[in-house]
Amino acid sequence: MKKTGVQATSRSGRHSPIGQFALTIAACIGTTLLATPLLGHLDLANIVMLFLLTVLLIAVTLGRNAAVLASILSVLLFDIFFVEPRFSLAVDNIQYLVTFAVMLATALITGQLAAGLKQRAQEARIREQRTQALYELARQLAGALTLEQVRELAGHFVEIQLAAHAAIILPADQPENDVATSPAGAIVRVEPHLVRVALDSGQLVRSDTVSELGLASLYLPLHASLRTRGVLAVDFGHDPGYLEAETQSLLEALASLVAVAVERLHYVDVAQRTELTIQSERLRSSILSALSHDLRTPLTALVGLADSLSLVKPPLPATALDTALAMHEQAARLAGLVDNLLDMAQLNAGGVTLRREWQPIEEVIGASIKLLGSALASHPVRVSLPPDLPLIEFDAVLLERVFCNLLENAAKYAPEGTPIEIVASQSSDLVTVRVSDHGPGFPTAKRDELFNMFVRGETESGKLGTGLGLAICRTIIEAHGGRIDADKMPDGGGASVCFTLPKGLPPTVEEEKS
Amino acid sequence: MSAAAPKVLLIEDEKQIRRFVRAALEDDGCQVVEAETMAQGLIEAGSRKPDLLVLDLGLPDGNGVDLIRDLRGWSDVPILILSARSQENDKIDALDAGADDYLTKPFAVGELRARVRALLRRSYRNGDAATPVVEFGDVTVDLSRRLVSRGGETVHLTPLEYRLLATLLGHPGRVLTQRNLLREIWGPSYVESSHYLRVYVGHLRQKLEDDPTQPKHFLTETGVGYRFQP
Repeated sequence: MKKTGVQATSRSGRHSPIGQFALTIAACIGTTLLATPLLGHLDLANIVMLFLLTVLLIAVTLGRNAAVLASILSVLLFDIFFVEPRFSLAVDNIQYLVTFAVMLATALITGQLAAGLKQRAQEARIREQRTQALYELARQLAGALTLEQVRELAGHFVEIQLAAHAAIILPADQPENDVATSPAGAIVRVEPHLVRVALDSGQLVRSDTVSELGLASLYLPLHASLRTRGVLAVDFGHDPGYLEAETQSLLEALASLVAVAVERLHYVDVAQRTELTIQSERLRSSILSALSHDLRTPLTALVGLADSLSLVKPPLPATALDTALAMHEQAARLAGLVDNLLDMAQLNAGGVTLRREWQPIEEVIGASIKLLGSALASHPVRVSLPPDLPLIEFDAVLLERVFCNLLENAAKYAPEGTPIEIVASQSSDLVTVRVSDHGPGFPTAKRDELFNMFVRGETESGKLGTGLGLAICRTIIEAHGGRIDADKMPDGGGASVCFTLPKGLPPTVEEEKS
Repeated sequence: MSAAAPKVLLIEDEKQIRRFVRAALEDDGCQVVEAETMAQGLIEAGSRKPDLLVLDLGLPDGNGVDLIRDLRGWSDVPILILSARSQENDKIDALDAGADDYLTKPFAVGELRARVRALLRRSYRNGDAATPVVEFGDVTVDLSRRLVSRGGETVHLTPLEYRLLATLLGHPGRVLTQRNLLREIWGPSYVESSHYLRVYVGHLRQKLEDDPTQPKHFLTETGVGYRFQP
């Protein structure tokens, strides 16, 4: 009530309570002075009317309290100055007591009614004015392009409408104790804990205790369609006073307007960022695919032309045929290296979107073995998988790269005729796959570096390679949320690479009635 | 060359690739017509009525997939695609649009000839009534009686497994995309549920392959689909 009291005065803008009383007293005395010369000419009843008129005017202009004072004062003045014996409170004619009573009652009731009417009219005016302001704010918020504008508009609104300060705190702000706000540059200090409570609970939080510490006392969550976007903190100054239902609903309306604006800005931001990402990804992939086309086309021609040399009829001499075969092999190997380089470029560019699908891992193992074909001719591959291995979610094309690289490595370094083993096992949340050979194994000293780019186990070896294979494997496995490690097999085994994939929750495949 | 020499239309923009592909196919008794661009290829396809199309997906004047769609409006000619490895999606689109098979660049000449022969054989056989009995490995499938036996013993398949088998057998040597298979066997609402297909292909391999982890007949085309190799 105090708050609106202040509001009302600041709105009519003229009188303090003391001024009101002074005016009331002056008006009553004025009426007395005016009526005194008329005493002989007018009936007392009409003089009563003059007093009642005064009370009515005071009620309308100065409000309820002044009206009560005026009522009592009028009766007293009427008694003292107009009723015989004059200049005394005593009354000759008992009848006048009735006059006093009726006069007092009439004055009080008229005063109350008039003052009430006035107050309601004033409230209606404030309401209308606030609604108008809310409309205006909504219009401005709709045009706001930055968060700063939203903050400023909200702060300005609260300042004008409630003579308080407000700040908007977003979850990203990580509120410290001080939050700057309001166009006037006032500082709203907020209690971070209460902000968190309002944010988490989605309820209005109010604390008068913190306002004594100079902190904002009211925290309204900014409810948007999907989630709470932030908190509107309102600081009423040191004395929060009684929070009227009307003020609260005004603030709630403000909060929802701000929430919509903040959400809209959020999505504008998201849309712009997505657009940017899409553009840069498109550019990157178009460069890579152009590069890939330009590199592969001559290699395809080289492989094919070398191949067709060996098909010439009549056949070329043996040495020429050997040369053609060697050319074919080298060109094919070069194509493999180009594949690795381009893969690494694509993976390193960060633009790999995994096309993850739930599938049995045995399928991709089979496909990899088939793809390598003759490269594995002298190394039988033994696959051993637990029969109850679940479906795993992975990008088949990329995992095929992993298996191809591991198998190719094994075939390159292990002596001919030795088998390569692929063994899978599972724990509660992981599937572990191990690819091992019977070659010399990885050099112990370098085992940790093996998965870095351009690192090779045997630097001096005559074997071809860029040292990219294992790095690609690691990038792919890590993109799937797994780990990859190199080992030496115990009891004379060779190199062993072991990687994990998370199991996740495989979808069910309904059993079919057979 | 006899009049019966199969006519192959080769649409490829790189001259050296055209050169060795032509040499390889002519060596196999084919008559080769070359086209450098998509527009030219489409004209040649209309006027020469080839028995087979070998199409590079990365043509300078447009997407090969559009050409396949155009062509499929009026022709059933088998189409073999040449594509780079990074073009998985283009491959799938091309196969979905009606291409029959693909080769990933770089490819060996032997592989190319094998694919071309398989496609030509199929297009010639198309006129005959399909044989009701298909044999591969030690498996015999009698499509007319819905009987599957392996090494003389009857193999029991569930209805869906049988439908999948029959679909794959219906297109020997041809790559069927996941999407195609899912739509055909499970219906349009399952086209995104690729795990169904994978689980059932796994069942078929368990029941009909010697080593299910290294299948010889039900082959995976990683990221694309499956192929039945008789």
